[in-house]
Amino acid sequence: MAPDERGFVDLAVEPYEREYLGPVHRVGFWTCILISAAMTLPALLLYLIYGVAAPRAGALAGLALALTYLLPLTIIEPLSYYSVYGDAGNYMSMTTGNIANLRLPCAAVAQSVAEVPEGTRTGAVIACIGIAVSVVVGVVGVFFGSLAGGWITAQFPPWLTGAFQAYLLPAVLGAVFGQFALRGPVYAIPALTIAGVPLLLGWHPYSIIPAAVVGTVLLGYGLFSWKGIAPGRG
Amino acid sequence: MDWKVIANAPWLWICGFVQAAIGLFQAGYFYRLATRLLARHGGYGPGQVRAIVRGAVITAIGPVMAEIFVMMALVFAISPAYTWQREGVAVGSVVTEMVLISNAAIGVGQEFGQPSFDMVGFAAAVVVVNLSCTIASLGAAFFTPYLGRARGKLSRGDPRLLAVIGVCSALGIFAFFAANEVKRRGGHEVAVIAGAILSMFLFKLADWLHRPRMKEWALGLATFGGMLIARLLQA
Repeated sequence: MAPDERGFVDLAVEPYEREYLGPVHRVGFWTCILISAAMTLPALLLYLIYGVAAPRAGALAGLALALTYLLPLTIIEPLSYYSVYGDAGNYMSMTTGNIANLRLPCAAVAQSVAEVPEGTRTGAVIACIGIAVSVVVGVVGVFFGSLAGGWITAQFPPWLTGAFQAYLLPAVLGAVFGQFALRGPVYAIPALTIAGVPLLLGWHPYSIIPAAVVGTVLLGYGLFSWKGIAPGRG
Repeated sequence: MDWKVIANAPWLWICGFVQAAIGLFQAGYFYRLATRLLARHGGYGPGQVRAIVRGAVITAIGPVMAEIFVMMALVFAISPAYTWQREGVAVGSVVTEMVLISNAAIGVGQEFGQPSFDMVGFAAAVVVVNLSCTIASLGAAFFTPYLGRARGKLSRGDPRLLAVIGVCSALGIFAFFAANEVKRRGGHEVAVIAGAILSMFLFKLADWLHRPRMKEWALGLATFGGMLIARLLQA
């Protein structure tokens, strides 16, 4: 391969596709199918061992609500990050989550240590190493965190336990809203209005959640089409 | 039996181990393919690969610690076993997880984090959270080979459109949950507002100080700050 204008020599196409991409797609496909199957186990075991099943209509309603939020992100995230982490990176990221805060930074650092540009074949292979390492660190960390977490929280004084039970969830929701509001301040107040007014009018969350997501996306699309307004970097 | 006991029983730990094993196998296999290709055709020696691994490990420690920090919310609200099953190898950060559990609770007429959340809410959460996350893994299984082409088509050549859709979807859903908590007034309202202000300040502070690694901790610190401020003002 000839060097590009930066003097960088990429991996040749033939070995990249034959020795790397082919096996990546084969194993990536089956591991993603397996992990999907494994995620049905908890509901199945809860029913088989304890005879407890979620009410079907309620579970479907919850699933529909969850998808209004998750579906756009599931489409957007791989499309946005693909040029950084490549095919193997996508299989791993979609299997293990925590993409923006963990997988992407590890992919980017690996590429920067190797002094390889993103969007190249070598960049994708280096990103794969970075993400694979982050998966191992993540699994080990979360396992010990979960084990210790139960013990640590049992040592808390009652006032702190009460604070966790009452206020942790609203604080998380506020903090995440603040994080996204910084990326798109122009959408923040309209989003609150679109969600808040029906809440005050007593609408059911079933209808408010899709309205808030779709309404804010349409507003963003309109501003982008008419004025070229887009979110800043995170 | 108390639902919290069931939520921390061995069956759920085992489900977490099964998922972790698949995720670790996938990562290990891809790692081996990548290092072998680089050694054979890229001229990378073991020393260079070690440097890449070291960089990734150091980078991963901060976000993983931050994740564990926020993860305590799930340990508290549901159980350590549930947290391990969902966060070990699963699709979704702790925050996504909480939104999905809240959706599940709404579906069965309950509210996550409130006394009304019981065995029915837990069962709904187990179904909704896990099934909704298979969308991502099944999507990856079937569509990864076509991502490059799809990316160009959806963004119409302008990747900023992808950012518009992503940020607006997230703002829409979190606007609903934040407004719903504000509606309760009292400590809930304080926690939401304090969490939002602290989060914006800490993310901005990281930019002002040119310390991007601070952002890994911003969300966790804002969450705990918001929670403590709400507790102090309501004491």
